[in-house]
Amino acid sequence: MTDVIDTKRAKKQALGPYGKVGHAINELDERLGVAKGGRTFMDKIFPDHWSFMLGEIALYSFVVLVVTGVFLTLYYIPSTDLVTYHGSYLPLDGQRMTEAYASSVNLSFAVRGGLLMRQMHHWACDIFVGSIVVHMARIFFTGAFRKPRELNWTIGLTLLILAIANGFLGYSLPDDLVSGTGIRIAYSIILSIPLAGSYLAFWVFGGNYPGTAVIPRFFILHVLIIPLIIIGLVGAHLFLLVRQKHTQFPGKGRTEKNVVGTPMFPVFIAKTTGFLFVTTGVIALLGAFAQINPIWQFGPYTASRISYAVQPDWYMGFLDGALRIWPSWSFHSWGYTIPLEVFVPSVLLPGLIFNIAYVWPAIERKFSKDNQLHNLLFRPSDRPKHTAAGVASLVFVAMLFIASSTDVLANFFRLPLNEVLWAMRILVIISPLIAYPITWKICKEIQAVQGGGKRKTANIVSRTTEGEYVAVPAPAYADDVHQELEPTPVPRYIVESDEHETTTGVRVAER
Amino acid sequence: MTSTFLKKVGVFGFAALVGVGPLLAFASSSGASSNPHTAYQTTRKNAGTPNSSKVVKNPSTGVVISYGNKYITYNAPSTALVTLGQALFLQNCASCHGTEANGVPANGTSGAYPNLVGLGPATIDFWIDSGRMPAANPRAVQAIRHQARLTKAQAVAIAAWVNSLDPSYPDIPTPHLKNANVSDGAALFALNCAACHTIEGDGDALANDTYAPSLRDIPAFQVVEAVRTGPANMPRFTGNLSDQQVDDIVKYVTTEIQHPENPGGFGLGGLGPVAEGFVGLLLGVGILMLIAYWVGDRS
Amino acid sequence: MSEHDEIRTPVSLQGISSDDPHLQPLSKNPQLVERVIAANFLLGLLLVAAFGACYWVNAKPWTLGATLGGGLFFLGVGLVAWGKYLMPRGPFVEERHELATSTEDRNALAAAIVERGGGVVKRRKLLGGLLGGGVGIFTIVAMFPLLRSLGPLPKRTLDTTDWKKGTYLVDITGRRVSVGDLAIGSIVTVYPEGLQNSDRGQAVDQTVLIRISDEDFTTQKGRETWGPAGYLAYSKLCTHLGCPVGLYEQELQLLVCPCHQSMFNVTNGALPQFGPAPRPLPQLPLYVDASGYIRSQSGYKVPVGPGFWERS
Repeated sequence: MTDVIDTKRAKKQALGPYGKVGHAINELDERLGVAKGGRTFMDKIFPDHWSFMLGEIALYSFVVLVVTGVFLTLYYIPSTDLVTYHGSYLPLDGQRMTEAYASSVNLSFAVRGGLLMRQMHHWACDIFVGSIVVHMARIFFTGAFRKPRELNWTIGLTLLILAIANGFLGYSLPDDLVSGTGIRIAYSIILSIPLAGSYLAFWVFGGNYPGTAVIPRFFILHVLIIPLIIIGLVGAHLFLLVRQKHTQFPGKGRTEKNVVGTPMFPVFIAKTTGFLFVTTGVIALLGAFAQINPIWQFGPYTASRISYAVQPDWYMGFLDGALRIWPSWSFHSWGYTIPLEVFVPSVLLPGLIFNIAYVWPAIERKFSKDNQLHNLLFRPSDRPKHTAAGVASLVFVAMLFIASSTDVLANFFRLPLNEVLWAMRILVIISPLIAYPITWKICKEIQAVQGGGKRKTANIVSRTTEGEYVAVPAPAYADDVHQELEPTPVPRYIVESDEHETTTGVRVAER
Repeated sequence: MTSTFLKKVGVFGFAALVGVGPLLAFASSSGASSNPHTAYQTTRKNAGTPNSSKVVKNPSTGVVISYGNKYITYNAPSTALVTLGQALFLQNCASCHGTEANGVPANGTSGAYPNLVGLGPATIDFWIDSGRMPAANPRAVQAIRHQARLTKAQAVAIAAWVNSLDPSYPDIPTPHLKNANVSDGAALFALNCAACHTIEGDGDALANDTYAPSLRDIPAFQVVEAVRTGPANMPRFTGNLSDQQVDDIVKYVTTEIQHPENPGGFGLGGLGPVAEGFVGLLLGVGILMLIAYWVGDRS
Repeated sequence: MSEHDEIRTPVSLQGISSDDPHLQPLSKNPQLVERVIAANFLLGLLLVAAFGACYWVNAKPWTLGATLGGGLFFLGVGLVAWGKYLMPRGPFVEERHELATSTEDRNALAAAIVERGGGVVKRRKLLGGLLGGGVGIFTIVAMFPLLRSLGPLPKRTLDTTDWKKGTYLVDITGRRVSVGDLAIGSIVTVYPEGLQNSDRGQAVDQTVLIRISDEDFTTQKGRETWGPAGYLAYSKLCTHLGCPVGLYEQELQLLVCPCHQSMFNVTNGALPQFGPAPRPLPQLPLYVDASGYIRSQSGYKVPVGPGFWERS
């Protein structure tokens, strides 16, 4: 008996002070040299502000997209061969349709969990693009795109474009009536490009519209080529984030030369994994209770069918809105046509918007004459002109989105359709012009208020004898948990204290 | 005229041009707007003759009492209702449509209101049964669907009297849905009806102040009436859709459109991607942002 | 370890006591919070297990989503709360290392490229030039299979449809349209006979046939014979972006495109009246043959559909 105990204790002592984990690290480090890098990685500090988590929403909805997408690829058939549907959805029974559409309907009705996966995939995409936009807005309004992070801004903007493109390709895959209309419009937009339009359209689609090549090509772009690029760019985006470290707001103990927050392991990992679960959970709940893209109701796409109220998915709305409100000016001379009524709103205008966004860090550097490194952020109200310009641009793009739903608005509010369209034409021009000065003024007002937006305790307002109001923050109460401590470096080890109270839940390792 | 004044004029003029110019250019491109109140339908006689197998005629007068087939039966309103119909018409309709139902009211001009003579019983029955007539607002561009003011029997009676002035087709239909094929109906609906009523059947705004109404609440026979008679701006489908095809469409409308399965959850009003965008952004991104706000610091 | 490496590994080498306030949880009442988190985890666990059960018995899709979503949500909330309220509250600080390396290192890299690399090429200019030319031509010709093989050249494909002299107009079922079929105010989508179910017939040849009354009919110059008995045939492809213009308002005499609300006046040759469409819908010349069928006199006189560069 004692032999066994001796061996056990001897084995335990042989492992060293950190037990099996230490032993594993020894083995790995001897082969890969991971110990120092691993420790550095675990000590990485992440600032805690809530607005820094918006990019995580995008990242985790992308994870959901990939996982649900893999499921879908196992059942979806990217083919335009015609089949006759004989499934459980009676209104389609006996109808001729492409295999792409039939397999998508099959996914929705015959595959267990298929409808949930389809809906989660589609909701995740809407949330993915939405969270990228919100995240990009945060980056813009707090100045996180400044040196040294311009490359990350460029990568992020490219990710937005790829996400929008992949979303369009993805919802076109089921080949239903609504998305098929979108494909027809895409063909015509390519056609409108001067000089090369007809060639490009014939090459992308393999011939005249519709052809048989478009669904398989969209498929491989959607599941392989673009996701690979997105994954690569996301990897680069995160690598730059880790290498350059995250930015932070100015505050207690925070300087340009440090990062204050929580360490990667275990706190940040816990919070971010929890957020992954929450994001997936919200997407699954939406997929359960909110029906999205009911392709069986739309029916298969044939080129002579059309439905009314066929807006594209929300992130394409700015293109649809621009196409609706742009006037019918077309250029036609010397035997050639430039369809400006298509080319300008759907190619030139978005090109202009995105190009301005791409070069914005350079524009900002030139206007502010600021070439320094910045690791501290500014609050939007600290830069009134910058914030006003951003808000005006967002308002402009938002008006284009709203313009995409003119008929739905006219129907919902019982207004004449023609007048709604005219109203949108005027609003698109006027609202950015109104938004800029209003935003600028609001920023100035916030700056004027003492400590505006930052206080955690009440302001004690008193009046001087001259009648002026003075606001002074009240002192924090003694055990206010929201009062931050002075930041301290991540400890290498934790010393066991004399009292063995374990209310903290901190495990103490013996040295 | 000092140079500063000229400069001011120049600057102001330029600003006005930049501001107003695009609007002027927009205006010139839209072309002349059409008069929304063009002539109402005038020719009635070719509203579509019955092309069906069973025709039942009155043995003594030879007038067609009903016609149809196993898909739809059309019944002429009983001539016994004519007197009642005229009384009801004078009470409810003559103030606009005139005592002769020809669109000339007592002290009005011809053509101000539609001439009802020769439109067929189904037309009259449709407008009254859907509550659009008697018109709540005669000046409105498009009459709105209501709870019907007159009962079905009263509507048939009025139809009987108006039809007696100039008997025409189509008669009041009764679709037989058990012989209909919902899948054919879906295909026909997508090709013929979805362009105005949307593929989900919710209706949408059309040119100027007109709109295609929602199909969610409409009874089966009214679908046939609307398709066959083409009320207001809706085109009429007579010889280009057989009774079997119309029956299929009615079956599709009354089952899938009015009672969609919605296995995926709430239908979001059938508004399509617009509603989905709202929900995705406000609910999806919004809730996640709120949770992030809870998780992170707020300093 | 050089001084530089020190800067790149700003890991603290000191320890702190376990009752340091930075290691304490944020919550004032950790036991209560722990119980709440435990409840969340338990609920999440049960729901996730319920997901498995629902899947096993093939329950309705919404139950699958509700259990999976709810379960993950509660697990996530619990984990987040654990991290936020029970784990060491911090805050901890880390020094940023200078991103830029030293001037010597930059110069060394520049020298490596310019002197070593440039020197090599400078001495062998011919080789450099030839290689550059070869790689350049390769990149251009590599595009050939990628682009050109994707599809045929358009040539004049976009200019023509399958409507010819004497083509019968048929509806989607293949039935020929005869002159007595449509009432005034009626509309039907027609195709060339035999092509109603083909891709080309649907996508390119699709045509709307409507019938208007004599009062509304305005004879267009050069089109006097095109509209027999009030029948008018227009290409269904919108001249804006090619959506089918299936929306006909018979009182307003407008064909409205549902996509972007271009409106075409039916009585005067489908001239656009509102909206972004720039050109009228091409009209198909019709005639009624001896048996009463409606047929086309010829093809469309202009290319149908949206604009493109070569459209003259």
